[in-house]
Amino acid sequence: MTNRIMTLTVAATLLASTAAMAQDKPKIGAAVYGLNAEFMQIWAAALEQHPAVKQGLVEVTVFDGRYDALVQQEQFETMVTQGFDAIIFVPIDIEAGAAAVKVASDAGIPVFGSNTRVNSDLLSAYVGSDDVQSGYMEAKYVLDKIGCKGNVVVIEGPIGQSAQIQRLEGNMKALAECPDVKVLEDQTANWSRAEAQTLMENWLTAHPGEINGVIGQNDEMALGAIEAIKAADLDVKSFAIAGIDGVTDALLAVKADQMASILQDGAAQAQGALDLAIKAVDPTYEPMSEIWKTYADMPWNNGADKEYSVPWTPVTLENVDALLALRQ
Amino acid sequence: MPGTPSQSRNFKLLVAQYGQKYGILVALVLVCVILAFANEYFLTTRNLVNVLRQTSINGILAIGMTFVILTRGIDLSVGSVVALAGVVSASFATTATTAMVPGGPYPAVFALAIGVLVGVVCGLINGVIVAFFRVPSFVATLGMLSAARGLTLLYAGGKPVPALTDSFRYIGTESILGVPMPVVLFALVFFASLWVLTSTRFGRHVYAAGGNPHAARVSGVNVNRVRLLVYVISGGLAGAAGMILAARTGSALTQAGIAYELDAIAAVVIGGTSLSGGVGKVTGTLIGALLIAVVNNGLDLMGVESYYQQVIKGMLIVAAVMLDQARSKQA
Repeated sequence: MTNRIMTLTVAATLLASTAAMAQDKPKIGAAVYGLNAEFMQIWAAALEQHPAVKQGLVEVTVFDGRYDALVQQEQFETMVTQGFDAIIFVPIDIEAGAAAVKVASDAGIPVFGSNTRVNSDLLSAYVGSDDVQSGYMEAKYVLDKIGCKGNVVVIEGPIGQSAQIQRLEGNMKALAECPDVKVLEDQTANWSRAEAQTLMENWLTAHPGEINGVIGQNDEMALGAIEAIKAADLDVKSFAIAGIDGVTDALLAVKADQMASILQDGAAQAQGALDLAIKAVDPTYEPMSEIWKTYADMPWNNGADKEYSVPWTPVTLENVDALLALRQ
Repeated sequence: MPGTPSQSRNFKLLVAQYGQKYGILVALVLVCVILAFANEYFLTTRNLVNVLRQTSINGILAIGMTFVILTRGIDLSVGSVVALAGVVSASFATTATTAMVPGGPYPAVFALAIGVLVGVVCGLINGVIVAFFRVPSFVATLGMLSAARGLTLLYAGGKPVPALTDSFRYIGTESILGVPMPVVLFALVFFASLWVLTSTRFGRHVYAAGGNPHAARVSGVNVNRVRLLVYVISGGLAGAAGMILAARTGSALTQAGIAYELDAIAAVVIGGTSLSGGVGKVTGTLIGALLIAVVNNGLDLMGVESYYQQVIKGMLIVAAVMLDQARSKQA
């Protein structure tokens, strides 16, 4: 009997001390759709590099959603059970993510979106980049390079994903400004380099000597097109090619003057969301990430905005070496 | 007069007989003829070279899969082994300092040998588990599918291994007398397998172990050894395919090869190899792989959405197995 009371007391003390520690140090969860690709690796690494994490002011746990909306929802339930103070959310699916947000919101935990949108008005704020804009920028590059006339092909992401829909909207906006340009082919390669390579090989056969430009909705697919052009013994530099994201291979291709890329600053999206999450737990907090200095176009506004739009950075021969150095 | 029971059965038998024997070849020729009329570029040399190149990776995987399926097994791990062999071998042949193995880049031959070795080791593990621990191949290789993908991500840190040396990329990008290297390698694998299965003792043992394992054992075939070796062959070929893929795309991706096992199985099944073991030919597998590639290529040339390609592939698979069923009923 005494033993049991002792155990209970110890347990209670332990619980109390855990609670006290939790108050000292906010516990923030980051639920991301999947960690298998380079972009989300950069995103997650940026969280670990955030000054508040490095100085031990907050405790951040990253949950790998393994590309499954249900896994993400279960991770939200786990975070609620474990008493996380705030959640950063990169959903796999714009609609299915809403249910997860509701789970946290019902438990009084604020949720901040980052990188990918979720269709929920329960989100405290969103830090991302406008895909319509990047779609416009990359298409504009291709169209400018071919002098607003000739033929292009568009390689799309998985049909129905928010990035594909919005980047296509941007592509079309730029194409509408060049009525003389004909879109010869327009298909999905599901963000995949190998699929885009096969597609481009077949298009080069179907339209010999007719394709002037390639609009790839991400870098991987633009890189696949480049490999197909090389395999057909054609000169890559005689094509105008663009992609989006700024993955390392694309930076190397920009350096070799083979394509253009629009860098999506995943690191800024991650750190911005973390600053907002800490602010939600501790109202006296001032943002510690460098990104608010880097992007003057994105003011902090005391963490009160609902939307923060991280600007896109066109990768050029001038800035590519500096960007590559960041990847080491 | 059709309608009388015996005549209609004879007719069915006839269709089944010829369908089984020449069905897939006829289907391939038919599709080619249709595409030749539908698109002026289909029959150009360059396009046919493209088709062969697009067949080669799946073809190599499917040939390894044929060995396994002939012994009544299945190898679900080949797609993941493609990725693992890709990133490991690439790390020995990259100039990117982030991903390099200390002292690299190493000569391409060395990196390629490492990649094949990775595949062989994966296959050996599959084979030991199936042959000696009596775990069903579906389960053993399902485990490897997951483990090899995880190891790929761990090894590469979730990032691609970029900037591969030109000598490594030789197997993906160069040509010999106008024939792309992937096709040359695919042809080598095909003729070697054809020889092994038709003219060697091991080949006869593969058929025997798959057709009737008990009878094979009684007549002195070391069934366990045969089972072990077919997974080693499948793993080694998956390793080779992974490096060809990395060499073609210029970078070894951790996401490479996802669901490739399904295309390989499809090619084998369309090619007439029976999932119940002991019956089938690599020639059939070659035709099956070509048929898949020709259909994809033709639909791309005509600008048909890729979603239709998946639907058509699905119908081909089911039609092929229906033929297979018709044949086994007749036998």
